Amino acid sequence: MTDLLSHLPLLLAQAGEHAAHAPAAAGDAAHAALGAPRGVLPAWAGSLPLFPLLACVLCTLCAIFRVKTKLPAAITVALLALSFVVAFLNYQNTMAHPGAQAAVVPLFDWINFDWALAHNQTTPAHVLVANFSFYIDPLTCLWMLFVTGLATLIALYASEYMSHDVGAGYCRFFMAFNLFVFSMACLVMGDNLLLLFLGWEGVGLCSYLLIGYFYQRPSAVAAGKKAFIMNRIGDLGLSMGIMLTYVQFGTLEYDKLFPQVAGYWHLAVEHRLAEVPFLIQLIPVLFTVGAFGKSAQFPLYVWLPDAMEGPTPVSALIHAATMVTAGVYLVARFFPLYLCSAWALDIVAWGGAITALLAATIGMAQFDIKRIMAYSTVSQLGYMFCGLGVYGATGGVGHVFTHAFFKALLFLACGAVMHGFAGQLDLRKLSGLGKMPGWKIVSWTMLVGCLNLAGFPIITSGFFSKDSIVGGAFANAHTQAIGWILLITAGLTAYYTFRVYFRVFVGPKHYEPGDELHASHDDHAHGHGDHAPETAADHGHDAHDFHPHAPGWAINLVLSVLAIGTFLAIWTVYQLPKDGWVAHMVNTSTAGAATPEVEEAHFLGMDPHHGALIASIVMAIGGIVAAWWLHLAGRTTAATSRADGLIPALGPIPNLAQHKWYVDEIYDFLIVKPLWFLSHILYFADKLLVDGLVNAFGFMPRAAGGMVRRQQTGVLHDYAVSMAAGITLVVLVVVIISSGGHF
Amino acid sequence: MDGLISPILLYSGCVLGAIGVCLALPRRGLSPQVIGALLFALAFGVLMLALGLKAGRGGLPNFNFYLFSFIALGASLRVISHPRPVYAALYFILTILSSAGLYVLLSAEFMAFALVIVYAGAILITYLFVIMLATETPTADQVEALSEYDRYSREPLVATVVGFLLVAGVTSLMATGVRGIAAAPVASAAANISDMPVRVETALRSAGLIGENEHIANETQTQVPAINLAPEDGSPGYVIIAYGEGRTQRITTNDPRWPKDLQLSNIEGVGFSLLKDQPGSIELAGVVLLMAMLGAVVLAQKKVELDEQGKLAAQRRSLSAVLSADNSPLMGPETPGGPNVREAELKPRAGMGAPAALTPHGRAVNITSANGSNDAAYPITGQKKIGGHK
Amino acid sequence: MTDLAITLAQAGFPAPMAQTTLMHYLVVSALMFGMGLIGFLTRRNLIIMFLCTELMFQAAGLALIAFSRYHLNHTGEAFVIFVLTIAAAEAAMALALVVLLFRRKETLDASSWMQLKG
Repeated sequence: MTDLLSHLPLLLAQAGEHAAHAPAAAGDAAHAALGAPRGVLPAWAGSLPLFPLLACVLCTLCAIFRVKTKLPAAITVALLALSFVVAFLNYQNTMAHPGAQAAVVPLFDWINFDWALAHNQTTPAHVLVANFSFYIDPLTCLWMLFVTGLATLIALYASEYMSHDVGAGYCRFFMAFNLFVFSMACLVMGDNLLLLFLGWEGVGLCSYLLIGYFYQRPSAVAAGKKAFIMNRIGDLGLSMGIMLTYVQFGTLEYDKLFPQVAGYWHLAVEHRLAEVPFLIQLIPVLFTVGAFGKSAQFPLYVWLPDAMEGPTPVSALIHAATMVTAGVYLVARFFPLYLCSAWALDIVAWGGAITALLAATIGMAQFDIKRIMAYSTVSQLGYMFCGLGVYGATGGVGHVFTHAFFKALLFLACGAVMHGFAGQLDLRKLSGLGKMPGWKIVSWTMLVGCLNLAGFPIITSGFFSKDSIVGGAFANAHTQAIGWILLITAGLTAYYTFRVYFRVFVGPKHYEPGDELHASHDDHAHGHGDHAPETAADHGHDAHDFHPHAPGWAINLVLSVLAIGTFLAIWTVYQLPKDGWVAHMVNTSTAGAATPEVEEAHFLGMDPHHGALIASIVMAIGGIVAAWWLHLAGRTTAATSRADGLIPALGPIPNLAQHKWYVDEIYDFLIVKPLWFLSHILYFADKLLVDGLVNAFGFMPRAAGGMVRRQQTGVLHDYAVSMAAGITLVVLVVVIISSGGHF
Repeated sequence: MDGLISPILLYSGCVLGAIGVCLALPRRGLSPQVIGALLFALAFGVLMLALGLKAGRGGLPNFNFYLFSFIALGASLRVISHPRPVYAALYFILTILSSAGLYVLLSAEFMAFALVIVYAGAILITYLFVIMLATETPTADQVEALSEYDRYSREPLVATVVGFLLVAGVTSLMATGVRGIAAAPVASAAANISDMPVRVETALRSAGLIGENEHIANETQTQVPAINLAPEDGSPGYVIIAYGEGRTQRITTNDPRWPKDLQLSNIEGVGFSLLKDQPGSIELAGVVLLMAMLGAVVLAQKKVELDEQGKLAAQRRSLSAVLSADNSPLMGPETPGGPNVREAELKPRAGMGAPAALTPHGRAVNITSANGSNDAAYPITGQKKIGGHK
Repeated sequence: MTDLAITLAQAGFPAPMAQTTLMHYLVVSALMFGMGLIGFLTRRNLIIMFLCTELMFQAAGLALIAFSRYHLNHTGEAFVIFVLTIAAAEAAMALALVVLLFRRKETLDASSWMQLKG
């Protein structure tokens, strides 16, 4: 790596030269960034992904040398912290040149075909350049800041959380963890679509590896496979989109792509979308398929809740905070391209809205708190897509940023509960955790996370980012329906979030250990000195020897930092959508494309943003109060609450929601079963027809060989005699020929 | 006459030789080896007679050729017919030595020495070592016994017919004359001496062709090679000599004072051929040797498992060794003691181990270790324990 | 002293060799090769079989030297160096194999290895 780093200045110099020769951006004054001078970053700017890669290699070495300590975690935390420092310095350097074009930091040549010169052609379609270089603009910086920052914190958390598995599993976990951060960095920082795709597949692979971390558990293996296969559907869309991009624009590099996109984009601003070629309008739609797959949007969302089979830090980092926002990143990065399409943004918005509502209704009826959080992630991702779809890249990205903090926080808090109660996640079997010693920090930080997720007004960052999305939806006349859906979802979100909090963290004290008791309780118990004493008077009958153990310093520290982070994030989003840190970051990047004029709309006779603000406050408070009334007020046991009385009144809906609207079953019936049937037909066709033919051809030489194999006596002398006889024969033939019959 | 007699003599020589070799090979039952050897000698004489008739007086080789080739062929017959590998190897050395004599006759002195050193000195010693390592331990009652596979050869008739058919085919090529192998005086070997200007100058100076203050000209002066002893156009070779200020003189090989001792020695010729004409070949040879060395190292450290047959053989021999140990006169003074031997007699029947055995020299050693355990070292493979103890 | 003699002397050969003289050497070489071949085919002791291959190498070497002398250049001799090299390499490898085989079966009989039987 030092070798690579030492070459960086040279590479950078070449890049500068390259930029000087780059054609000037298409003269479109509307997008100032494109014509601006190129930003210059120091040589080490591209070293960011190398730290996680190095950590990955070191963890692999740890696995090879059978390290039985927490060394992999220490390596990971240290190197990820370094990469966070680099990300922060990159951010500072980028912001030091406001208005500059994105900097391209080359690392090495990866794919660099140029067959135009050979044929004396100059059409761009004859060049394929996809180098390992990084495109660093404010959007990249924003993403890398929270990716590396959260990864560092969650690695610290995982060092304690995974401590029962110290050894090969520990190394494997951190290896995949680091590989994930590396892939995510490639995805976010790549300066071309192929590198993005590499990172895209890389994070998918790491997701698969980490979901299936407990590979002895069949459900984890199945969940891993499900995630992988669902992602394949999305990746097919993305790869087709990439190919179409290359066919249409002749390049995959952002640097050369965006000026070309800008050429079409004034048509969008002038409402002349019909003049944009159909295939170009199709590209963002295909990208959307990829984004929906990776970010778990309807109809490809079903893998994400199952992905909670993985260890909780993985759920927090990959399946809540970072990887699932890759789809949002894709849409934000190519926002100008989306603007050139007549339908892509509508698809994004409606897909997001449907997902948000659907996932929220399912989340309301679940009992597994981690699964509730998973559905809330799906739902919140729906919000983000809505935000992008209603011309509000700032709102969508802002929600990504705040959501990353509070959702990671929520998951980690759930993970702490799971860790302490031997895998118990059922909210009917846990109650009043906040009153148990050692669980104070967890329940307080959980409260912070819940307030954010519920969008509690004014004091939470989640409120501002979510509100800017809802307001954006109402501001546009033809997306008002989406606005209403989002508003209702906000109420449902507040309800199911506080349902968890009121059931688990407050109320009468009660707990039952989970099913990991016999498997790993011993490991857990010895890991920590601060055992919670026997406090629950009426705890489970089969748990007379079970002591929940409160989280240690690492978990508490990470939870506290994240909780504080959610409050600090208010500063970044409170002026959304017009102003503020996030808005500034987005608007100075490629996502900051000016949107076309839309028909001004009003919300209940008010300015849409103010109206949405008020409505959101009402919905959030209403949801929280409903949750309080149904799940806390007057509750005496852990298992039942007042809400149970409501279920008959709602008819089949609770049952349907609890069974996730039978979406999995419908998919199974519509797709899996027919495919299974077809595969079996093809299997037998292959077996009988193809294999039969092949075997027939194989049989002939075998039969022939069977006839002559008796020649092989196995005795060395027989072979030698036949060889000598052969040579003699040849010599005799030569003699006869050369003598010309002179005998 | 000539065209008729020679092939007949050649073929009859081959037939005689075939019969001779066939008789000389070790076989079951009556083995008239002496008759075979005599027939073979006769066949050699017939073949040489045929060749001599064809050659006439001028083309005969000298007497030493007949001597060396007779020894070489006789020794090689003994190599293939002697039942004891050690003697076969020793006869092979004789073949090598007489071949070296033939090489000297062919004015390949360097190769003759190399042959003796490498073959007789190195390779054959390796053979002798392996014969020593890989010979079945003789049992006590039959110290000099030969293995069954050494005593009898396998299908001597077929092999001899094939072998001498090949010889006859090759020799009849010579009888009918071979087109296209006419000797061509090759100048390239002669030209090599032009590459040794110092030697040329010294020789010419001692012959008086170059005087004081004269030297072989510089090529930049003359524009043509200053020494060219074998020009390609067949003209006489020359040397250009410079003297005074820029004046040159050409001396040709026709000069009566031309030194007769200015010639390439055999080793120089081989050296030029090897390093100038085929420079890559010596590298290849080095690689081949390196690979052989690596291969030998890899093979040497391989662990060998005795298979069923091997175990049986080992057990059988060790048993017979023990059974004959108590009354064997060969029992040496280093035997740990009589009683131990008696105990050992009973033990190996039950166990798989080989607690007692004889070295190839017939000395009983290491019957049991002091505590009677059966990890006795195995005698044949240099005291190395072999697999098979379960 | 004739030109040819001078050239020959410079090449390191005393005089040209008659073709019939070459024939003598070649016949000896052929006989020696035949011996080696017959030995290889009839003897059952692995060590002697390899000794017979050395005999065949010898025969080839003799023929090469004779041709070298006949053609008045040293290429044949350079080839014999190769023969020596290969013979040495072969001796090292083949004899190591022989020892391994012997250790496994306690016999040098080539006929006892019949695993290749079809």
